[in-house]
Amino acid sequence: MKILNDIRLLYIRKVFETLRNPIFIFTSMMTPILYLALFSPLLKRLTGAPGFTSGDVLDVFVPGLLVIIAFLNGLFVGYGIIDEVRNGVIERFRVTPTSRFALLAGPVLRDLTNVIIIVSLFTLVAIPFGFHIHLIGFLILLLLVGMLIITTSSFGYAIGLILKDEDRLSPIVQGLNLPILLLSGMILPMSLAPKWLQIIAHFNPVFYCVEAGRLLAAGHIFERPVAEAFAFMIVLTVFTVSWATRTFNRAVS
Amino acid sequence: MTDVVVETKNLKKFFGGGKSLVRAVNGVNLSVKKGEIFGFLGPNGAGKTTTLRILTTLLPLDSGKAIVAGIDVTKNPQEVRRRIGYVSQVGGSDRAALGIENLVLQGRLYGMGKKDATDRAKEIINAIDLKAFADRMVSTYSGGERRRLDVALGLMNRPSILFLDEPTTGLDPQNRAKLWEEIKALQKAGTTIFLTTHYLEEADILADRLSIMDYGKIVAEGTPRDLKKQIAGDVLSIGVENQDKNADELVSLLRQQKFVRDVTREDNNLRVYVQNGETALPEILRLLEQQKLVLKTVSLSVPSLDDVFLKKTGRSLRTGSEGGKE
Repeated sequence: MKILNDIRLLYIRKVFETLRNPIFIFTSMMTPILYLALFSPLLKRLTGAPGFTSGDVLDVFVPGLLVIIAFLNGLFVGYGIIDEVRNGVIERFRVTPTSRFALLAGPVLRDLTNVIIIVSLFTLVAIPFGFHIHLIGFLILLLLVGMLIITTSSFGYAIGLILKDEDRLSPIVQGLNLPILLLSGMILPMSLAPKWLQIIAHFNPVFYCVEAGRLLAAGHIFERPVAEAFAFMIVLTVFTVSWATRTFNRAVS
Repeated sequence: MTDVVVETKNLKKFFGGGKSLVRAVNGVNLSVKKGEIFGFLGPNGAGKTTTLRILTTLLPLDSGKAIVAGIDVTKNPQEVRRRIGYVSQVGGSDRAALGIENLVLQGRLYGMGKKDATDRAKEIINAIDLKAFADRMVSTYSGGERRRLDVALGLMNRPSILFLDEPTTGLDPQNRAKLWEEIKALQKAGTTIFLTTHYLEEADILADRLSIMDYGKIVAEGTPRDLKKQIAGDVLSIGVENQDKNADELVSLLRQQKFVRDVTREDNNLRVYVQNGETALPEILRLLEQQKLVLKTVSLSVPSLDDVFLKKTGRSLRTGSEGGKE
């Protein structure tokens, strides 16, 4: 199949890009490691407090961080594609008979690979700090994290293609970053929040992932929030990927 | 296959709407024959790149018809893509990979197997002499090296026609001359080339035939020789002191003279088209004196493509082309 071959070729191209610059993997781990080292000690005092009743605070905090790693990695990919648009690379591909879906899927799958590696490495780092992990739950959590990175990185590439300019991309990236982070319940569980804040959080896909992530990491697989998160993310992934493919199909000047 | 590789009929593409409607391409008819270098000349913003983007399937047309390599671009863009090569203004090579990797990937995206793509890449590396740098990262290339890789990428699929959009923009004179040689050599090897440019010399030197575009329309077409012949005789270029009123009078006075075919004016520069420059010059100097105009510069030349453009549009391509945006 031409389309599968195209995806493979464009995936390999991006993987080589990462391998030539592997420092990217480590810089991507810096934010979560700083959270773990400099912020999680503050949470230690909260053991047993409302929202933290289920065991060690890290078991509440780390799953949220794993989700945030996926979210942040996808959000910033727009900068990379703006560079490629500027150098005419995307346009050159668009004049070949390459499948338009492959133009998106190649880079997105590379981002997926990176995030799975980063999330797994980070989990290993967190275990000595006192993070307990349920293996099956963790593997299911990886599925959820995978859908999140596919969604955010597809969104990132499409928005980069549309805006074609770092100065126009930055306000959107920054404008999404902080509110989504704050409303995800990553830092403190949203169950501590007043009702109105909780209602707003329910419009945030990352919130569902964080909630489900905590349950999954503890091995609670057949829970309502897990099902909700999967339902939400499947719909969102399909929608975002098809929208992003259409963006690659349309004219980019 | 017929001898016509590109044909457009009443091609139109508008952008925006209402008061900000831009008629980027407004009824363009083109015809490019097999084996020729076709020059597409015009100032920045004339609509050249938009036309090119329609022909290369990057942009849908609004109305009209475009046949490229025997295929209708609207009906079967995928098949058009298989048959053409395209080198955009900004190039297209991937900075974060080796030159050879760029070439092989390009071949494989056209559906070639690994071996075919590698063989073809090596063939091109030899043909247009990329040997010295094909194994280096593109990010280390000089401007000239990168341009040649860009052109090589456009040739990977052995296209029926190679579209080059402003290929020498940003190159120094030496690299420009070298690329001109490459383009000529490609033509000799049988490639049909469609080249847009806003450099008159480039069109004059390279193009077998050319069309001149301005404000979305074709204003002239033919061989460079035929176009220049339309402006037979000599051209006197006269610069006068900054006295607008008198210059206006001078223009109308000159137009009344029998030996003058045409006069165009841009600020304080007049171009006077005459049958015989040597005999016309003394007459003109006499008129200048009568008008009490101070002569700053005067020169005699044969008509250039700029004169063709000036005659068709009333503007000079040379002075009006900088700073525009396409």
